[in-house]
Amino acid sequence: MAAALLPLPVRSRSAAGALRALLAALACAVPAAAQQPAVGGPVAKPWDAVLVASFNIQVFGESKMSKPQVVDVLARVVRNFDIVAIQEVRAKSDDIVPSFVRAVNADGSRYNYVIGPREGRTSSKEQYAFIYDTNRIEVDRSSVGVVPDPQGRLHRPPMHARFRTRIVPVEMAFTFWLVDIHTDPDEVPQELDALTGVFQAMQTARPDEDDVILLGDLNAGPPEFSAFRRIPGITWAVSGVTTNTRRTKTYDNLLFTQPATREYLGRSGVLDLQATFGLPLEHALEVSDHNPVWGAFYPAEVRQQTLPPMAGQLPVTR
Amino acid sequence: MARVTADPAPAWISVADIHDWIGQLGDADASQRAAASELLCRAGTAAATAAVPLVRACADDNDQVREWAAAALEDLGPPPDDSIPQLVELVSGSHPLAAYWAVTLLGRSGQKAGVATAVLAACLDSECDLSVAQRAAWALGKIGPAAAAGRAALEKAAAAADPRLARLAREALDVIGP
Repeated sequence: MAAALLPLPVRSRSAAGALRALLAALACAVPAAAQQPAVGGPVAKPWDAVLVASFNIQVFGESKMSKPQVVDVLARVVRNFDIVAIQEVRAKSDDIVPSFVRAVNADGSRYNYVIGPREGRTSSKEQYAFIYDTNRIEVDRSSVGVVPDPQGRLHRPPMHARFRTRIVPVEMAFTFWLVDIHTDPDEVPQELDALTGVFQAMQTARPDEDDVILLGDLNAGPPEFSAFRRIPGITWAVSGVTTNTRRTKTYDNLLFTQPATREYLGRSGVLDLQATFGLPLEHALEVSDHNPVWGAFYPAEVRQQTLPPMAGQLPVTR
Repeated sequence: MARVTADPAPAWISVADIHDWIGQLGDADASQRAAASELLCRAGTAAATAAVPLVRACADDNDQVREWAAAALEDLGPPPDDSIPQLVELVSGSHPLAAYWAVTLLGRSGQKAGVATAVLAACLDSECDLSVAQRAAWALGKIGPAAAAGRAALEKAAAAADPRLARLAREALDVIGP
């Protein structure tokens, strides 16, 4: 069950409808620009869901940022979502993510970011980042950090941050941890085992928060998630569909527990770079060897009631 | 064995392309080397024949070349069997990143890399870069019983102060057996 800041004001069979009506009314508070068509302005997002994505932007550094066509696709990807957990920022410069966020915001969007330290056992380091739409999401900056890993079980220990939606009153807002991970492909079973412990630790990291969403490039698909099955109620958003750009592997996902994260709307997908942007594989691979994956979550804390079906528009996906 | 399995080579990449990009890794112009490294990375497992040149590229003095080479190697899968002798030589090179990836590819080769046991065992010495020593312990475990000659070095590493090195050494000993 979600650790709501305050219980929802409605509990009856009509609770879902009442909440939906409230959200519809609140949608009027979303800046007008956010409700315009995608062309020429910020992407219109659903008023009854927040879209959380994960995207491994393979070797996201100076080379990619020097290619305007690549930056354009990456920016258009990000604008589809409320939060994007990024893996594989690899650069000597500290300006890659800030420059990219400026490119994302060039259409009037209002994204911001948090970024982690350089991680990795060799001289080749990576950083995690969260890029989020400040119109709809806020981050508790005091919650940003890296999971301690004194035993060295994870090549790139995950970055965590706690977020809150901004499209419902603060006392109703959905709050949640995001835990961003990129596993080492040579030690996947061991790292998934370690991540099981990380997930459980995050569930109890704060007494007022048990919504934990572990997301990233796991280098593994659901058939290899046996370690995660130790977590009661664990489930994942992406199953039975490939997530790499070559459409051969399921590597990326979002994991959470259903008893706690009732806000999950059962809607998820893979934003296929080739199909969405009409790119041949050769050009899609210039953007990344991974497609973004996403899940939709209700923007208010949910306790008992069944959620209504979504009415808002979702990203083109498969 | 590595988890990565080979994808079919994309239609836009030919054997000749891979050959050309390997040659380009030796260009005097760093931007050309970086471009080649990036193209080989995009080729995925189709660039397996570039395993040795990519390991060498990890010692390049240009960081873009190194980053793309390391990223290419991460997803390359097992190297061709005939590259094992050259990878053994690269383990002893002076650049830790190149040594790390040579060791990693040998580990992905599994028991076929038994000939690398001595050089991998030598990496467990405390003088070696820690990331290379840890990966060497992992690689010996991947080689398995064919790495029995590395037992003594692994037993010493299993008592190392570094918890990761000690754990990987213990795990390798379990796989190699008595």
